[in-house]
Amino acid sequence: MLQVPMTDESAQASSMCTDSAAAQNGGSPTELKEVREVSGEDENKELRELLLPDVRNLPLAPPSAVEVNFVAYFAPDFMKPGHDHYVYRHPNGLCVVGLAPTHVAFRDEGGVTGVDFNVGKSDRSAIKVTGKRKKNAQHFESNTMLCKVCTKSDSYVVRCCVKGSLLEVNERLIKQPNLLNSSADREGYIAIIMPRPADWLKVKATLLGLEEYKRLKEQG
Amino acid sequence: MNRKYGSQLFSQERSFSECICLKNALKSLITAPLEMLLGVKYGQGPLHIRLTYSESSKTIEKSVEREFDSTSKRRKTGNENGLETVELLNSGVGCITTGVGRTVVTDTSLNGLQHHQSSDFSKLLLEKVRRPCSFSFHCNRDPIYFGGRYLKFSRNVSQTCWMIDEERMGEASVEEIISSCILLMCRGDKYKFHAAGREDIDVRMLGSGRPFLVEIQNPRHIPSDVLVKDIEEKINSSRDKLVRVKNLKLVGSQGWTLMREGEAEKQKEYAALVWISRPLEDPDMLSISSVRDMCILQRTPIRVLHRRSPLDREKIIHWMKIERIADTSQYFILHLCTQAGTYIKEFVHGDLGRTHPSIGSILGCRAEILQLDVTDVKMDVF
Repeated sequence: MLQVPMTDESAQASSMCTDSAAAQNGGSPTELKEVREVSGEDENKELRELLLPDVRNLPLAPPSAVEVNFVAYFAPDFMKPGHDHYVYRHPNGLCVVGLAPTHVAFRDEGGVTGVDFNVGKSDRSAIKVTGKRKKNAQHFESNTMLCKVCTKSDSYVVRCCVKGSLLEVNERLIKQPNLLNSSADREGYIAIIMPRPADWLKVKATLLGLEEYKRLKEQG
Repeated sequence: MNRKYGSQLFSQERSFSECICLKNALKSLITAPLEMLLGVKYGQGPLHIRLTYSESSKTIEKSVEREFDSTSKRRKTGNENGLETVELLNSGVGCITTGVGRTVVTDTSLNGLQHHQSSDFSKLLLEKVRRPCSFSFHCNRDPIYFGGRYLKFSRNVSQTCWMIDEERMGEASVEEIISSCILLMCRGDKYKFHAAGREDIDVRMLGSGRPFLVEIQNPRHIPSDVLVKDIEEKINSSRDKLVRVKNLKLVGSQGWTLMREGEAEKQKEYAALVWISRPLEDPDMLSISSVRDMCILQRTPIRVLHRRSPLDREKIIHWMKIERIADTSQYFILHLCTQAGTYIKEFVHGDLGRTHPSIGSILGCRAEILQLDVTDVKMDVF
């Protein structure tokens, strides 16, 4: 195990006020210094003990950040058979939209080769949203086109699935479309949308939870 | 203390260059008797006594409106104690407070006024004063400040009182635990809690602690050094052991600037419990520990994107060290020192690739953070 790098100042500063032993000694400078150092070490030790987890409680593989922080919903066959999207909703209301693992695009030989955000009336990757109030964000319907995903043989339209303001698209996909093949559920997300609370409730009724989605896809 | 306005109007009938405003005239007359009555000296100090003289009269209001309607602008400046404060500008009358059946003239400065206007106004006041006015007083002391550092041992305690839809998040708040204890001992009216930065509810604050400031408004009792130590003891010996306080002491009003000075440049140290998707190897230890002042780019994390601007923030990771955990191959403790304002959780798991580089991208695998602790707030205050 490596040593925790603790600076001398922090050790001394914190030991000065909690050090009743030194006050009692009221002794020579060297005595005081020794007591201070020991006190500093004690605090170090206390800190290290606090930081070390109980190994017995550590799971083999902990839940991922996405699993912990978002609730996963699915929109299977969105407007077209096989066009399965996911909607990860954060408690703060934001929705991350992307391709579910069962999307037809992944079945094509070679997987996804390109992503184009220039669809519909505008290039979605060119919008600059600014400020706390999210100025300039485009308001889209759930069936508005987000982007086109291309494989060697075909191209597929990805839609918003959620009515709301488009805050951000994952423009990294333009240069690295392979992110969709390796991690469509994380780094390969398509966009982040902010729906109004009322609009979310409406669309939530049409989406499937994780268990339902799994069951549906096992049958099909 | 009932006094007719009449005796004060003499000051208004003098020529303008010699005029002083009504408020100051009254003040100079009252000061000496008050000093004798209370056995104290008047001067600049933390204790303030406000004397309010008010005249109940609807007719003054009406005549004033009549006289000044065309020539002056009225402006509502606020609602104090249910009274509407209307400033009559350009009329030479500093401030007339009108409210439900009460008219209070709090200041009259007659400088730069047209002659005929002032005499008209004096006439108005001369007419009205037949009854004595009513009087009230209010005492107030300047706020006092306590500085110190706090530690937070619980992962269910927020820094400030956090409510969502009337429900409290977490079981307590650092702010309430510390401030309510101090407020009680000082017998003050209200407290305000300020800290140098903050941590999430599920993040512990350990090590040297985080500097904080508690402002107590209108304290009836200013504690001695011994009592301040008692307050610190009381907070630290509570049954819950959720929060601990260090170095608590009274500070002057400069405590605020002390804390805010260079807050953005300060460095913070953290310890994170990290899991990676493959076993940790020796080359990993080197690639992490060789980092020196690495620049990272963080997009506004999704978890705060709803209330913050979408921005790309450049942050610096000053250094990092991996501490292996015995009996595990994919878990370790990551010690790191970063620039103030860095989102540590997002630096570990990458926030869907929106923070780059991240621990995952540096090690070439998936990384998750299970726990985070702040181990040092490097500031030279308290």
